[in-house]
Amino acid sequence: MEYPEIDAFASLNSPIHRFDPRAKMLTFTLLIFSFAFVDDLKIALYGFLFSILILLVSRLPMGFALKRIRMVFFFLFPLLLIMPLTVDGEELMNISGISVSTEGLAYASLIIIRALAAVTLAFTMLATTRFDMTMKALYALRVPGMLVQMLMFTYRYIFVIIDEFSRMWESMQCKGFRLKANYHGLSIFGNILGMLIIKSYDRTSRVYQAMVSKGYSGRPRALINFKMSTKDYVLSTCMVLIAVSVHLINWY
Amino acid sequence: MHISDGVLSFSVVAAGWAITLVLSALILWRCKYKYDMAEQIPKISIITGTFFVASLIHISIGPTSVHLLLNGLMGVVLGVFAFPAMLVGLTLQAFLFQHGGITTIGANNVIIGIPALISYWTFRFGYRKGINVAFMGALCGALGILLSGIFLAFILISTGEEFREVAYAALIAHLPVMVIEGIITGSVVSFLLKVRPELLPVDTEV
Repeated sequence: MEYPEIDAFASLNSPIHRFDPRAKMLTFTLLIFSFAFVDDLKIALYGFLFSILILLVSRLPMGFALKRIRMVFFFLFPLLLIMPLTVDGEELMNISGISVSTEGLAYASLIIIRALAAVTLAFTMLATTRFDMTMKALYALRVPGMLVQMLMFTYRYIFVIIDEFSRMWESMQCKGFRLKANYHGLSIFGNILGMLIIKSYDRTSRVYQAMVSKGYSGRPRALINFKMSTKDYVLSTCMVLIAVSVHLINWY
Repeated sequence: MHISDGVLSFSVVAAGWAITLVLSALILWRCKYKYDMAEQIPKISIITGTFFVASLIHISIGPTSVHLLLNGLMGVVLGVFAFPAMLVGLTLQAFLFQHGGITTIGANNVIIGIPALISYWTFRFGYRKGINVAFMGALCGALGILLSGIFLAFILISTGEEFREVAYAALIAHLPVMVIEGIITGSVVSFLLKVRPELLPVDTEV
């Protein structure tokens, strides 16, 4: 199983990497929400091109980015198949009695382009900041501490649990277990999962005791020393203007 | 099984976020007085991480493969904490793996989290009545998926009539997953009851 290392290339240097994490979180979120609700195919396409541009500016390796972004297709490809057949509208072509509608095709592609734009932006946002910096930015933005802590711990232990699971999985494979969708396979798999839950539950008490002995009291203490420079202000203003203008163009 | 960005209309997305945030805040606020949150936060987080890893496993059925949702099991193991834990899990899933969307985390959390709560209450009710635990586990696992499918179809249709057929297709796609998760949850729950019964929070009042 692969590690979900989103910030593997956070140490590169680019204007997006240097962007203040707090401003980056805010402006990118605004852009994501703005691009995800554009109604016009052409404007959605411009939004997508803009997010590609940001990705290019950030100098993240293309293979790394493509591997993540192509997930959108797996999720939305069924729409592209179903919607042209089911949405009523002008007939584009007729394949042996089944009519394919232009409206359906346009709507499905609009959805996919909006999703691609949003995912590209979200990916660039997280991939250009170290994960602990993202969490610090969330603290600085006054997101409830309980949620940020849960995000941070969960992220941290995903790596440990993946290792734990891989070990158990390998030993099962050695004993000849193959996961198949029948009653036997699934109930054995249920036992593996139960053991994984018990192992991680036992780990929680050890982790908690270790944390308490280091002074953990449920209240996070983060040293935050972010500083906004002129460049950050300019970049944020541009981003906000683009996010707003995408929706204003539609009215005129 | 998750809704991606760009599918839902703005009002549905806003409603999803509102329900998710209010319900999570309510649960965390209530539990603050009942539990020592400093102790609960690492516990919930690590168990959430376990479910996150479990949801990465793909099981192949014929030509396609499904990945596990395990919301029924999450409800049974975490109790009411399953809902805020789901918010954390979905956020990480959306950002780390691009499963589901960022704007739709709220709606997805309603689709997956509320069935988890219902599964928990069903399980607790059945457990107190003394019904066979493996059966209750299987029922809750299947119930979690069935309700998720229904919620998903309902949300898709309420965003636009164009999605009617897509919603039905999604609902049908949930049926085999329902059987798989039923069997797995039943087996996990009976295993936990044998090995570590204190893990099932059936005796707590929330």
